[in-house]
Amino acid sequence: MADVKGTEMAVKEERVPVQEQKTRPVVVTPPVDIYELEDGVVLFADMPGVPKDKIDVEVDKNVLTIRGEIGQVVPKDITPLYVEFNGKAYERAFTLGPDVDVSKIEASMNAGVLKIFLPKSEEVKPKKIEVKVE
Amino acid sequence: MLRPWFSLSDPIWQDFDRLNREMERIFNENYFSPTVSSSQRVAIPAVNIGETADKIYIYLFAPGLDPKDLDLTIEKNMLTISAGRDTSKELEEDKKVTGYYRKERFSGRFRRVIALPEGLDTSSIDAKYSNGILAVTINKKEEEQTKKIEVKVS
Repeated sequence: MADVKGTEMAVKEERVPVQEQKTRPVVVTPPVDIYELEDGVVLFADMPGVPKDKIDVEVDKNVLTIRGEIGQVVPKDITPLYVEFNGKAYERAFTLGPDVDVSKIEASMNAGVLKIFLPKSEEVKPKKIEVKVE
Repeated sequence: MLRPWFSLSDPIWQDFDRLNREMERIFNENYFSPTVSSSQRVAIPAVNIGETADKIYIYLFAPGLDPKDLDLTIEKNMLTISAGRDTSKELEEDKKVTGYYRKERFSGRFRRVIALPEGLDTSSIDAKYSNGILAVTINKKEEEQTKKIEVKVS
C-alpha cells in the first residue's frame, strides 16, 4: 500500500521508512483510556474508520475482546501517495476482574471512538452503612 | 499505585506491569505508556494521501472530534488542519473517576500542515468527517487530469 510514487509531495517531517511501514501488520492495537468509576469501569478506544456495524465487542469467560473493521473509505481506483496509517482492522483484548457484571456491559460508538461501560456487580458496589445513633 | 480490581493477574500483563514499574522507577514518572500500542503511531493524528485520475484525497485519522471544532485552511499549496479534543470531558459530569488503568489516547490540540502538489483546483475543496476520519477531496485542474486516449483502428 505504501507506494513511494509521488514523493514530490514533500511533507517535511521525520518518517518511519516506507519499507518498515510495509511490514507492519494491518491489525492495529487501538490506544485506550480505562477509568475506574464508583459503579464500574469505562473504556474508550480510538478506532477511526470503523462504522457502527463493523464493531464487535465480545466477552468470553473473563476476556473482553474488541474488534473493529475499517469500512470502505477510499475509492477503489486510488493510488497511495503517502501513507502513515495502513491498518485494516483493530483488535485488543483485556482480562476482566471477577467483579464485572458481564450481563450488563454497554457499548457505544461515536466518531470512531468506542465506549464500553463495565458495571460492577451489585455485591461489590460500595455501600453506605448508616450508623444508627441510639 | 492503584490496586486494580480489573484483573492484571494474567502473566503477560504482569510482565508488562513489571517492565512498566521498572521504567517508572528509572524515569521517576509515568513516562512510558504501559503497552506497545502507543508506539505504533507515527504522528498524531496520522495522515494518508492518495490520488485518482482527477482528484487528490487526504485522510486524517482523528477520532472523537467535534466537527464544528475542525479548522481547515488552504493557503497557496499548504493545507492546514487543526482541531483538538479533551478526553477528560468525555465522561458524564456526574461520574466520579476513582482511578485509571490506561491513558494512551491523545488529548489536546493538534495542527498538521500538508504540502499539496501543484495543479490542484483549490476552489473545489470538499471535506467530510465520518467515523473519526476527516476526508478532504480536492479536484485536479482540468489540464492536470489523467486522460485516456482512445486509439482508433482504421
